[in-house]
Amino acid sequence: MDEEYDAIVLGTGLKECILSGMLSVSGKKVLHIDRNQYYGGDCASITPLEELFKRFGAPSPDETYGRGRDWNVDLIPKFLMANGLLVKLLIHTGVTRYLEFKSVEGSYVYKGGKISKVPVDQKEALASDLMGMFEKRRFRNFLMFVQDVREDDPRTWKDLDPNTTTTQQLYNKFGIDKNTQDFTGHALALYRDDEYLNDPAVQTVRRIKLYSDSLARYGKSPYLYPMYGLGELPQGFARLSAIYGGTYMLDKPVDEIVIENGRAVGIRSGNEVARCKQVYCDPSYVVDRIKKTGRVIRCICLMDHPIPNTRDALSTQIIIPQKQVNRRSDIYVSQVSYTHQVAAKGWFIAMVSTTVETDEPEAEIKPGLDLLGPVKQKFVIVSDYFEPTDNGLESQIFISTSYDATTHFETTCLDVLDIFKRGTGEDFDFSKVKLELGEEEQ
Amino acid sequence: MASVKIPEQKVILCGEFGVGKSSLFRRYAFNTFVASNSRQSTLGLDHINKEYTVNGKVIKLQLWDTGGMERVASITSSYYKFAEAAILVFALDNPASFHVLSQHLLDIVTYAENAKIFLCGNKLDLVGQVPQVTDADMENFCEQCHNLISATFRTSCKSGEGVEQMFAEIARHLVNANRSRMELQTVDKNSFKVTPPEDPTEEPACLC
Repeated sequence: MDEEYDAIVLGTGLKECILSGMLSVSGKKVLHIDRNQYYGGDCASITPLEELFKRFGAPSPDETYGRGRDWNVDLIPKFLMANGLLVKLLIHTGVTRYLEFKSVEGSYVYKGGKISKVPVDQKEALASDLMGMFEKRRFRNFLMFVQDVREDDPRTWKDLDPNTTTTQQLYNKFGIDKNTQDFTGHALALYRDDEYLNDPAVQTVRRIKLYSDSLARYGKSPYLYPMYGLGELPQGFARLSAIYGGTYMLDKPVDEIVIENGRAVGIRSGNEVARCKQVYCDPSYVVDRIKKTGRVIRCICLMDHPIPNTRDALSTQIIIPQKQVNRRSDIYVSQVSYTHQVAAKGWFIAMVSTTVETDEPEAEIKPGLDLLGPVKQKFVIVSDYFEPTDNGLESQIFISTSYDATTHFETTCLDVLDIFKRGTGEDFDFSKVKLELGEEEQ
Repeated sequence: MASVKIPEQKVILCGEFGVGKSSLFRRYAFNTFVASNSRQSTLGLDHINKEYTVNGKVIKLQLWDTGGMERVASITSSYYKFAEAAILVFALDNPASFHVLSQHLLDIVTYAENAKIFLCGNKLDLVGQVPQVTDADMENFCEQCHNLISATFRTSCKSGEGVEQMFAEIARHLVNANRSRMELQTVDKNSFKVTPPEDPTEEPACLC
């Protein structure tokens, strides 16, 4: 530990592990420390099941839960967009070779107290109970516009510059009604609230394209989920970092970030000091440089059946648009199962999550819980959402934000790329990742 | 089905820092040896495939190195996932590296419970008149762990002695053990690796 490093990374959550991997690949000498005995921090998948129950102070699970070791339970539910930023990062860094994925089977949206499949093609759109007959035609015209429009080619704009008009104006042009706007904005464009209606339409167009391009990659839904749980993701990037020379230390308390002349120059653990030029960390390592800007509630539900009305899907996402339940932010329901090696045979894990708006967060997720049917065991986590108050340019301490309530990793990756740019002064150069050993297979 | 893809059999190296896991990897991959004073520990070694033919059946071994993570921290549990075989490596001139193997064995049976386990005493070239770890020690170890060990080997990465034989033998074990299972597995396992888009000029499928 008594060496000098280019960067010391604190915490092995997904964001820190991606950063550690990117820094090592860029030729930096990295020391990566976690105070826990395990990799992943908040992004770990908890195993065995006994450990999860202990974490929440619950009595040990009985034998109906099968073998505890067959469980890997995420604390933060998310899916990967098949054509999203995280998949790009996985491919470009080669981390994808450490992982296997399954396509999420069903994508649903909540309307008027029940759930409907998010239509994925023309046939489904025509058969969907989300829209009336005439609305279906308007929706189809809208989708064709979105698919054909090129941001830099006015000929495709149809008299509507997507860079200057708002999404609301775009909807109005195609005569899209409120209900369709609701599922388009929240289940296709994946906005968390309705702020986007006043933002430039180009952003909505990009998001819907991400959805449809993701869908085109692997079928049934635009979402992917890794075998053995999301905790595999930080571990994959940690291995990348290690292969490029990063040093890993677990179970190592960090007592202090050593500051000289306003700049971080190292970290202290007990009597040891490791010196460095920069520190990258999650909010929990720098309580004096962050502010709380909200709360997120996540509820883990263990069940012995799939979510009703999803055609017995072994993996599902359900989005409850805010307006449907008189809220300002959406409620998300996700479900994975034993087929992903995250639960014992016959078991399902559903998660309900949202941004907290009231003093009674548990009551807020009730519409989501009501969709699940009988739940065998429920664990509720309400966590603070932190943002850094220090951008690191002076102090050389680069802090990630907490994980938000979104159901995918797009914001996670944007934060990582932004931190990397602030820290190194350059965009991450994907071409720096050399072809690895063993990759030249036919 | 036009072509049947040869499934890769993931084989992982386990054992203490400095026993020669990466040297085994280099022998396996490039048939080279680099002395310890002229290299950094494990930089850049990830995994590599090699085909073996056992009784006319082709099998692809995919050997994985630890990435040097065991130097200070523990290895990630994902290293063990999907492993079909694990090689417990120790140095024949270093009894401590042998006695600590039960810990590594525990990790293997926890995270890769279906993996076949092999025991490998490396640095055979350094063994003097009085061996530090004897054949009897190795036999005792196998008995103590209730015959979890499928086979034992003694190798020297410096001279290359025993290395190729070991991997050929592991390939043979995996072919025999997996014959029926490999066929079954392809039926019910439909997970996949994510790959770059095949043709970027191709029009994405339309939603409508």
